[in-house]
Amino acid sequence: MSATNTIVMPGERIAAIEELAKSKRVILGPGLRRLDDTVVASKAGPLRHKEPGTFWVDNYQRRYIPARGDLILGIVRAKSGDMYRVDIGAADTASISYLAFEAATKKNRPDLIPGDLIYARVLNASADIEPELVCVNSVGKRGKLGVLTEGFFFKCSLNLGRMLLRENCPVLAALTREMPYEIAVGVNGRIWVKAHSLKETVALANAISALEQSGCAEIDKICGNLGDFLQT
Amino acid sequence: MFMNSNLFEPGKSKPERSFVQLAVKQNQRLDGRRSNESRDVELTFGSDWGSVVVSMGDTQVMAQVTCEMGPPALSRPNEGKIHLNVLLGGVAFLDEAYNTHDQRSLKLNSLLERTFRSSRSIDLESLCVAAEKHVWCIRVNVNVINHDGNLYDASSIATLAALMHFRRPDVTYKDGELRIFKQNEREFMPLLFHHYPVSVTYCVYKSSGQPILDPTLLEENAADSVIVLSFNSYQELCSLTAGGTTPTNAPTVMQCARNAAARCKSLLDFVRKALALDEERRSQGDRSVDGLVGLILNTEHKLSYNKLMGIQKQRQQQPPPSENIELDNESSETPVANEEPSNEEGAGAPMDTSDWLPHDEDSQELPMRSEASPSKAGKYKTNKKTRPRKQNHSDSEEEARQFI
Repeated sequence: MSATNTIVMPGERIAAIEELAKSKRVILGPGLRRLDDTVVASKAGPLRHKEPGTFWVDNYQRRYIPARGDLILGIVRAKSGDMYRVDIGAADTASISYLAFEAATKKNRPDLIPGDLIYARVLNASADIEPELVCVNSVGKRGKLGVLTEGFFFKCSLNLGRMLLRENCPVLAALTREMPYEIAVGVNGRIWVKAHSLKETVALANAISALEQSGCAEIDKICGNLGDFLQT
Repeated sequence: MFMNSNLFEPGKSKPERSFVQLAVKQNQRLDGRRSNESRDVELTFGSDWGSVVVSMGDTQVMAQVTCEMGPPALSRPNEGKIHLNVLLGGVAFLDEAYNTHDQRSLKLNSLLERTFRSSRSIDLESLCVAAEKHVWCIRVNVNVINHDGNLYDASSIATLAALMHFRRPDVTYKDGELRIFKQNEREFMPLLFHHYPVSVTYCVYKSSGQPILDPTLLEENAADSVIVLSFNSYQELCSLTAGGTTPTNAPTVMQCARNAAARCKSLLDFVRKALALDEERRSQGDRSVDGLVGLILNTEHKLSYNKLMGIQKQRQQQPPPSENIELDNESSETPVANEEPSNEEGAGAPMDTSDWLPHDEDSQELPMRSEASPSKAGKYKTNKKTRPRKQNHSDSEEEARQFI
């Protein structure tokens, strides 16, 4: 991944990609849109490029737009019929069926109450119908999905969530050197953490929140002195 | 309509709630404060009279006072009018903010009404120009810019500071003709006060007997009950709001009240000092705070509570009898007091100190008590409380205490 210094604004035509598209195959990621023969940005932010031909706009956003296969954290809002309504930070609430939990049957229902935090996968997401979640994988096992108890939960920007989730993220590795902990990061910008003691959990949450405004390049530097945040 | 109204707020999920409860039980707070420690209060005065921005942590509230001539209310023909108006619309994540009848802004509005209007803190009779015909209508617009808990304190400080900062034009009424003077014709006049009330907020949790001061939004949403107390500088209770589900005992409420009274007093001292500094700046002709953005982002003219009062705290610690220091502060403020609400303030200042004196010993003991175990502190206090309460507080409160 290379970070070019171009900042694009919504509606801006990006000629560089059009040029490249003439010679080879180009993939347009989030924030870019094809209008006939032109490529137009639909979000504001720095333009990113990954070899050979993938482009996207890395914009700062807090509202989640559901996409199939995403792992997210949601809060149960209400029971309705054989569904739970779950808030996932998107424009609409998502639904999850009673039967979408491991070993759940019509008789043996999962015991969730409003306010519970669940780690789930988005089963389907479309602009016109409400997103649907599941807490099992394709063979009916829960894996790491399900209800999260104890620990602390907080919200952050989608960027921070994505950054923590990227492969060999330096942040989590740096934190691991300091203390043992559990973490669940949703791409909808919600993070759940749990450490041995309350104090450690607070420190962990503060350390992660402190990364909110920093870019990818700075993160590597900051990770060196993450221990300082943990002291406070 | 979104089903997920106000879900962007923290403190609505179970892990968050139980975590905050646990933290309070262990006497810890997420931002590292102690239970009786508040966030720094920062004041910025705008270039207009009566415009002020108050920020406490991430909570930011702007208050603007305006005035106009109008007819008085029929029931009170010789009194001016005061309107308090709260706008929560600036907070994007509160979906309910678009509903004018929502609980939160109503609660905030009624708190301000009780604190400033029902307690008759402003001398409304002085706002009457011609009885039954012309009176001043004072309007306070409180605009919430960001909400991170404790809107009550932030908006009451903002309202008080804005009202104290505000100047109205001079006016004459002769032969049925009303004449309002411009600033270059006659100096503007400040409002007259009977007393200066400020509120202090506490959150109480089921898991702990120790209430916490100045909650953040997370702490506020996770709290079982919220107690808001307004006191004026004479340590008189101006309003009390206590709601929620925690069974709170009388000693806890009394402990809150005592600490709140002391804090209100120092908050008022801070506002007075800030006003004095602003006055000084204005007299030098410096009015560089301009526009809304300048007001909100301004760092140069921000007056911080910790900074202004920190010096005072250190001074208080050095000599044990703090009476002299109180007088000291009072005298350092008198130049402002004279320029400001003319005779009212002059009468108020000495009374303030004399009233404060018997209380001083109490307030010095307080920190010690709060460190002791809550039950012990409570017992100890109930025995001694009757004496100072009687002279300063209404009978009803006294009765209530004995009743419980």
